[in-house]
Amino acid sequence: MTSNLLWLAPLVPFAAGLAMLLVRDRRALAALDVGSSLAVLALAAAIARRVAVSGPVSALGVFRADDLAVLFLLLVGLLAVAVAIATVGWMRQELARGQMRKDRLRWYFALVHGFIATMVVTVLADNLGILWIAMEGTTITSALLVGFHGDKHGLEAAWKYIIVTTIGISFGLFGTVLVYGAAVAAHGEVFAGAMNWSSIAAIAHKLDPGIIRIGFIFVVVGYGTKAGLAPVHMWLPDAHSQAPTPVSALLSGALIKCALLGIIRFHTIARGACGPEFSGGLLLLFGIMSVVVATPFIIVQHDIKRLLGYHSVEHVGIVALGLGFGGRLGTYGALLHVINHGVTKALVFLVAGDAIGRYGTRDMRVIKGYLGVAPFAGTLLLMGAFSLAGTPPFSIFVSELIILRAGLAAGRYASVAIFLLMVVVIFAGLILHVGQMAFGTAEATVDRQREARSPLLGMLLLSSVMVLLGLSIPASLDRLLARATEIVLG
Amino acid sequence: MTVELATRLIDVLGALLLFTMLVILASGQLFRAIYAVALQAVFLGIAGAVLAAATGNPDLWVIAGITIVVKAFVLPWLLIRVVRTVQISREIEPAIPMTLTLIAASGIVVLAFHLNASLGPVRQTITGNALPVGVTLILIGVLVMASRRKALVQMVGLFASENGIFFTAMAISQGMPLIIEIGVILDVVLGALVMGILVLRVRSSVDTDIADLESLKG
Repeated sequence: MTSNLLWLAPLVPFAAGLAMLLVRDRRALAALDVGSSLAVLALAAAIARRVAVSGPVSALGVFRADDLAVLFLLLVGLLAVAVAIATVGWMRQELARGQMRKDRLRWYFALVHGFIATMVVTVLADNLGILWIAMEGTTITSALLVGFHGDKHGLEAAWKYIIVTTIGISFGLFGTVLVYGAAVAAHGEVFAGAMNWSSIAAIAHKLDPGIIRIGFIFVVVGYGTKAGLAPVHMWLPDAHSQAPTPVSALLSGALIKCALLGIIRFHTIARGACGPEFSGGLLLLFGIMSVVVATPFIIVQHDIKRLLGYHSVEHVGIVALGLGFGGRLGTYGALLHVINHGVTKALVFLVAGDAIGRYGTRDMRVIKGYLGVAPFAGTLLLMGAFSLAGTPPFSIFVSELIILRAGLAAGRYASVAIFLLMVVVIFAGLILHVGQMAFGTAEATVDRQREARSPLLGMLLLSSVMVLLGLSIPASLDRLLARATEIVLG
Repeated sequence: MTVELATRLIDVLGALLLFTMLVILASGQLFRAIYAVALQAVFLGIAGAVLAAATGNPDLWVIAGITIVVKAFVLPWLLIRVVRTVQISREIEPAIPMTLTLIAASGIVVLAFHLNASLGPVRQTITGNALPVGVTLILIGVLVMASRRKALVQMVGLFASENGIFFTAMAISQGMPLIIEIGVILDVVLGALVMGILVLRVRSSVDTDIADLESLKG
């Protein structure tokens, strides 16, 4: 029964995507979009319940849901729903402004659901080969979405995206091959499930550390490219800024987290094979680099969506730092940060999309007085920005604090100092940028029509989760995170 | 086929893969690079057949067949079609001087074989020099992609890189499970199609090579 749920979770969005190709009506497409996303979230919740009650569930060695997968699945489901709701009103405006062609609407929705289906597979995959195939599948579907408008910038971003991440994750495939080879060597012969994470992690202590080290380096560079870790992040600000807004929200909120999950899976194997120092140290290095590299670009940025893209690089770096500091505290903080950043970044991308639509530009020097033009979305922009910058009482403050404490507990004072310095600088830069957008007086040419209900509803869903997680972490989520932490630590 | 013979054949094929890789890296002509990557895929397919005969694993015969059909014929045909449709100039202008890239390539070869020598008992499970050859192909593929501002050449570099992964994957413990290999090849083909679409769309709107666009910065 439960294993059927694992098959349904990717099948529902996949089938919905295929069905969308036959539909031409905007309302019907939007209804399918919201309905299928709600189904994914409901399936995620059902799987989460089952896993919480009776432990990990496996389906034929292809899929497997443990607490770690459940955590990421819930994030993907939640973002899919919020983005689908927001898309209803957004799409109406895009059509009205002539940004989207009516005859290509069904392709857009179908690709989005293909994208969601492949993300669900990456999260649920037990077989590391399936994980890789689905990860490349996310690139193929989302690259077409990044270049969907067909303008020069969009196509350039799409090309950089597909070429850099495809070569990047082919490194990940090579790492996967090496880990598989090590597992077979340790076992003496090819065995059923030799490529499955669950069986490799179980014999991790017997794997040859030399080959696992090389494999893990390839995996971190590979999946790290997809996750946007510096110095292999150069495609990310382009793709995340040129994609249509709902797609940007999914790319930054959900997809890079799926790639992080891939790294986390191999991190567990590497910890078992070569001890915590090697993989943790490597993640720490990539984390510090990401935080440091992102900072100057955030400060000097004028394009709002590029700003958010670089900001994602910083936050992926913070997650890597948490994993690198290690221990229960660091890992717990990193996992919590995955959820917090996913929710908040999707929210801010949706708001930014609304602002860009109203002002007809992405330049933050031109966007002024947004709070007066769109009071609700403007308030959410301020809240989201303060949360992203790491201000209490919002959720990101909590996870950053946990990661900092883990760094101090691990005695990594230099890393903690660099991290703190960058966070303070980024705080100043971000609040300055957003303050200029929110306050002041808008020019007369700005689109002042009343705020559409559906985008606001999607944003409110995300912002309520953001505020809730900042005030207190629900006991059920706390238990889920604690169990997922144990899985990561092996 | 004895294990010694298989090992020797794999090493010979590995050398041929390296040679075709250097031809791709040094070629100043688009078609030559495409033919070289097709030839490389033929050698890869033969390597699959050798390993299939040596290990008696029937899956490897299938993989060898698919490799030759897809990577030696379908993908090069797709590339040539795109070249003919968009009529881009067929000269390859390197962004980095050729001498420098060749020096970097020889550095990669040395590094990969040095890395292999440092490995422990796990080397027993990999036939011949498949691991260092695989690492070398991957890294030189990246070098090709980084040093050329031409979309089609970047795609050739990508395919050559993937050939390296397939070579190592075949030689490790009788190859990956068949269904996974098929899934990976499917991804490669779909990815190539999407890249082809992007190249054509840019050609039809702004008349430049997509890899030559650089308006997104900072």
